[in-house]
Parts: sequence; structure tokens; C-alpha cells
Amino acid sequence: MDRQISIRVLRWLVRRPSTYRLLGVLLEVLNRKEKNEAYKIWVRFLLEVTQKAYAHRRPVIWMNAFTPSEIAYALGGVPFMPEIIASLVSYLGWSRRPISLADTYISTDVCSFYRCALGLVLEGYLPHPDLIISSSHLCDGANKFFRYLSKLYGCPHFFLDPPYKCDTLGRRYMISQLKEVVEAASGLIHVPLDEGRLAQTIDLSNQARRYMEDINRLRQNIPSPFPGSEGLSYLAGMNFYSLGSERGVDFYRTLYHYIERKVVKAEGYLLKERHRLLWLHHIRPYYENEIFQILGDRGVAVSFEEPNYLYWPSLDPSRPWESLAEKITSNIWAGPLDRRIEAVWRMVQDYSIDGVIHFSHWGCRQSCGGAGVIGDFLKEKGVPYIILPGDGADPDNYSPGQTRTRLEALVEMLG
Amino acid sequence: MDQGIYVGIDIGSLSSEAVLLGDEGVLAYSITNTGANPRRAADRCLEDALAKVGLDEGAISQIVATGYGRIRVPFASRQMTEITCHARGAHFLFPRTRTVIDIGGQDSKVITLNAHGAVTDFVMNDKCAAGTGRFLEVMADALETELVDMGRKSLQAKRGVPISSMCTVFAESEVISLIAEGYKEEEIIRGLHEAISKRIFRMAKRLRVQEEIALSGGVAKNQGIAEALKALFRKRINIPPEPQIVGALGAALYARDMALGKG
Repeated sequence: MDRQISIRVLRWLVRRPSTYRLLGVLLEVLNRKEKNEAYKIWVRFLLEVTQKAYAHRRPVIWMNAFTPSEIAYALGGVPFMPEIIASLVSYLGWSRRPISLADTYISTDVCSFYRCALGLVLEGYLPHPDLIISSSHLCDGANKFFRYLSKLYGCPHFFLDPPYKCDTLGRRYMISQLKEVVEAASGLIHVPLDEGRLAQTIDLSNQARRYMEDINRLRQNIPSPFPGSEGLSYLAGMNFYSLGSERGVDFYRTLYHYIERKVVKAEGYLLKERHRLLWLHHIRPYYENEIFQILGDRGVAVSFEEPNYLYWPSLDPSRPWESLAEKITSNIWAGPLDRRIEAVWRMVQDYSIDGVIHFSHWGCRQSCGGAGVIGDFLKEKGVPYIILPGDGADPDNYSPGQTRTRLEALVEMLG
Repeated sequence: MDQGIYVGIDIGSLSSEAVLLGDEGVLAYSITNTGANPRRAADRCLEDALAKVGLDEGAISQIVATGYGRIRVPFASRQMTEITCHARGAHFLFPRTRTVIDIGGQDSKVITLNAHGAVTDFVMNDKCAAGTGRFLEVMADALETELVDMGRKSLQAKRGVPISSMCTVFAESEVISLIAEGYKEEEIIRGLHEAISKRIFRMAKRLRVQEEIALSGGVAKNQGIAEALKALFRKRINIPPEPQIVGALGAALYARDMALGKG
């Protein structure tokens, strides 16, 4: 009974916008010694977005990762990404309960980020969506999952279905889909699509992109100035969530200057860097784990990570639809595997990589499917490579002993 | 005794081994159950091995620990993975080894190595008991037979009964059903060995398996498994006289390298 009351109180707190204002004040105090201002901007951004989603003064648009956040900003809506929230919940060590609850509804083989999000939905923690837009270009399961959520919430669901190839025909198909979805969405939420705001959103996304490009160039320096564990957490989160917003530009500009200072001082994130690794897959385990500690203790830096690879060209505010279509269709994780292999090889060379870890997230057919082929390619080139099976959000799928053995064996292979 | 004593300790999930290496080769080894306390198992197997040659801990030059419990051996100068140590140990015993199949109590691994015994690639089973010593232990219990007799019995069967479940729990039920259906014990055991071997063979296919192949780990003592693997790989498989100590031997070789300033 006591437990039920505390859950009810927790839910009430979680759903109150003022909670995030208070949390913001509290975290500003707790983070006052944090030297990385960009991290603080991420915290502020996340709290603001969440607060706005619960305040519901503007349309709340649920999206999955890789659906361009620019769409939500152009519609004047508040983007809400359940996968990002699930990773945060997992980071805070709270994912077991929602995952267990979801497991009574859907298969345990489904991605744990979705299971965690579903559990949160079922317990009534998340803000009600006005509409849902999802994209299948990484995960066909995403569309089915979001379709299920739209049924639970009784709200409309639109999905983008990017083509396999990034050719003229494919882009044209993508442009027509984007226009159709955004126009329909705009009608449903009664917000007319403002071309000026769309162009401004594209411009903001582009400004952030330019800083991302500069950050990536800085990260090629030896020693590695920025930890891969953070590249896979809030930096990757901002890639999904913030592009098209002013906060996004602010974040990347601040992070660029922070890393630049590190590079000028030749300051690596490890005391002594012996080897440099590339992390493949756009996620990592977010719950408490030893992965980056094991590597760091042995002088092995995760110098770069796949989600921060800039695969799309500069966007053109005067051609917003074409730009967004190009951004979607040039995604290296969708379409032919050759494109991803080419990008991986470029990362290996650009970041002076000694070895590669391909994280294989439980339930993620998209990434696990290509891991073997990428491994064959890299091994052919003489780059040590391991597949690290695990789970991004479900701590019960983490095997500490096996993970340690795989990582240490890789380090031993590196010499 | 003036020669250096180099020690490798392999703390596995089911058994722990210690190898004492001298300048001329292996002086002694011991094998013990790990039990619930890896630290105590490490002490015990080291003491046993030292007792065999009448030495005490003061004679030891260097200790390297390996196996899943390697981080629980505080008196070791260094910890190394069983992957690296099995490769080194197998290469020492069979210098032309380029692939090692290690079937331990809790996991199984296939390791490829270069001409110097250094690991070039590896693959290991995920957190699942199928294809490991523990799987065979559970099946031995279900069949009410001794683990050590399984190899011999399976070789008496003309064919194996196909086992479809590789989950330890489901396979146990399947074995019980097969007994009830009247299948011969040796045919069921052979079926189990073939199922395990197929699983390891499929895992090995992810690597570029090259000859010569060495089999290590406690399960390598099971002739039935060895024969099933030979049939699948269609290659000669070298089995050391005591396959269970290969990891500890590799660790002892690394201990010697360290003592001689090579590692």
C-alpha cells in the first residue's frame, strides 16, 4: 500500500511542469563546479523540453530517434523522444520496473528502449502526445511500436518510410513523404506551416551542424580530448533532439570551445592514452556498468563514436524539404551496408583508430545484422575488432564477467 | 632450487588450476573445484601444486592469474584473460596451432592466433550455458550417469538422437522425454555431444579457422565431443594430455616473460 502511494506521488511529481523548474535550480547548484558548460546546457535543454511537454501549451510531438527533430521545431511543437527518455531512466537506474511491466505486454525480444518507454506509458508517467511521427529508416519495429502507442493514447500516428537508395528517385519519394506528413500534421494540430519558421529551423540546424563538424575535427587530435562515453550519451542525445533549436546551436558552440581549450592544452580525457578505439552503434549501456572504466584504466580511449559521424551534407534553408530528405536518405545506418562500411573506414583513418568495438544491442536487428560484415572488412584491413553483445537500457541483460573478458582480450590484442 | 618458478593460476567457473613452470618446463600442476570462493580456490590450487614439488611461496618468481575469477587473485602480479592465456598455452604445447577451441565450464571460445601465439581474433558464446561443461553436467544428472563416462558411452552409439533444444533447461526436459521414449542412453549422449559440437562449429565459422586446431578446457577430456568436433571441422584436432591446464600454462608462460623482463 505504502509503495503504491509513493508511486502515485512520484507520478504526480513527474507530471508537474514545476518539478522541472525546481530540478533545474537544484541541478544548477549541484553542477556549479562542472567545467563543461555544454553539459549544463544539455541538462537545461532536457528539463526545458520536458517541462514544456508536461505544460502542454504547445503541441507535443512524439518522435523516434532519427526522425528529424527539425520537423517538430518547424511546426512550433515540443519534440518528445521516448527512446531518449528511456536511456535517461536507465541511466538513473530506474529502468527495471517499466521494462518488467512492458514485458507483460510485448515480447522480451523487443528493443529495451521501447520496452522501457512502454512501461512508462503504461504507468502514466509520460506527457500525452498530440501526434506521433516515426521513421522506419533504422528500425521497422519503431513504426509498429509507435503505432501501438498511438492506439493507447488515441492520437494520430504518421510514419516516414525512407527508401533504401539515396538516388534522385529516392530523394523525390522522401520529399513527397515529408511534405505530406508535415502538412497533415500541421492540419491536425491546427498550426499552419510557416515557411519562414521552417527556413529558420533549417538554418539553426545548419549552424549546429557546422559546430559539429568542427568538434569532430578537434576530436581527431591525440590525445583524445573528449570521452567517448559522453559522446554516446548527451552529445548523441543532442544530435537526435536539439537540431533545429537555438539551444542546439548554443550547445554545440559551447562544446566546441570547451574541446578547443582541451586541444590547445594537449589535454586528453585519460591521464595516459595508449590506444584509440572507435565505438560502433549509436547507443551504449546507460545503466551503471564498467565498460568505459575497464578501458580507461588500461589507457584505452574511446576516441570517436558512430552516432557523431556527420553523414548528411549542409542543409539549405531555401530548399528545406530537399535538405531534410537528403539528411534522411544519406543516413549511413539505413540503406546499403557498403555506405556504412565506407564511413567506418573513414572514421578509422580520421581518428587514428587502433581497434573497433561494435556494440550489439539486444533486439536491434539493424546493427547486429551488419556487425559481421563490418568485422570481416576491418579484420581484412588488420584492425582488431570485437562484437560486444549487451543491452542499452536493460541492466538484466548485462553480463559483467563476459563483458570484462571481451574488453580485456581486445586490449591484450592491441598490445 | 635456483631456477625461477613462474606460476599461472586459472580460476574458472567450475574448476581452478595452477601450473608451476620452471626454466625447463612444467614442474607441477593442480586442479581443484572453484566452489563459491575464487580466492580460496586460488590459494588451494597453488598450495597443492607447490606441495607436489616440495616448495613454498617464497620460491615463486612471478604469478599471473587468468580465468573469470582472475580479478579475485590479489597475490597475482598481473591478470590476463583466458583468451590470451589459452592461445599462449596451446601454442606452447603445439607450436603450429593457429586455432584454439576452449570449452570450459561456463563458456566456450574459439580463438585464432598467429605464429607467435598472439591472439588475432576470438569469438565466445553469449551468456548461455549451452555448449559448455555446465550443460553436460546438467545432462549427466538428467541421465543419471557420471560425467566422466559420457565420452566413452557416446562412442558406443552408432548414431546420435537429434537434440533440438540447446537451452539447458529445455534440453534437460527433452532428454527426459527421450529416455521415456525408450532411446538408448548412449544414443542420447551422442546426440548431446553432436548438438554442442555443432554450436561450437557454427561459432567458429565466424572466424577464419586455420590448422592446426587445439582443443582445451575440461570438456576436451570428453572423447565423444572431440570426435564430434573432428567430424564437423574435418581437420585434425590436437588434444593436450591435460587440456584443463592450458589456460594456467599460458598464464605461467606470461609470468615467465614478466620475470625475464619480456612482458
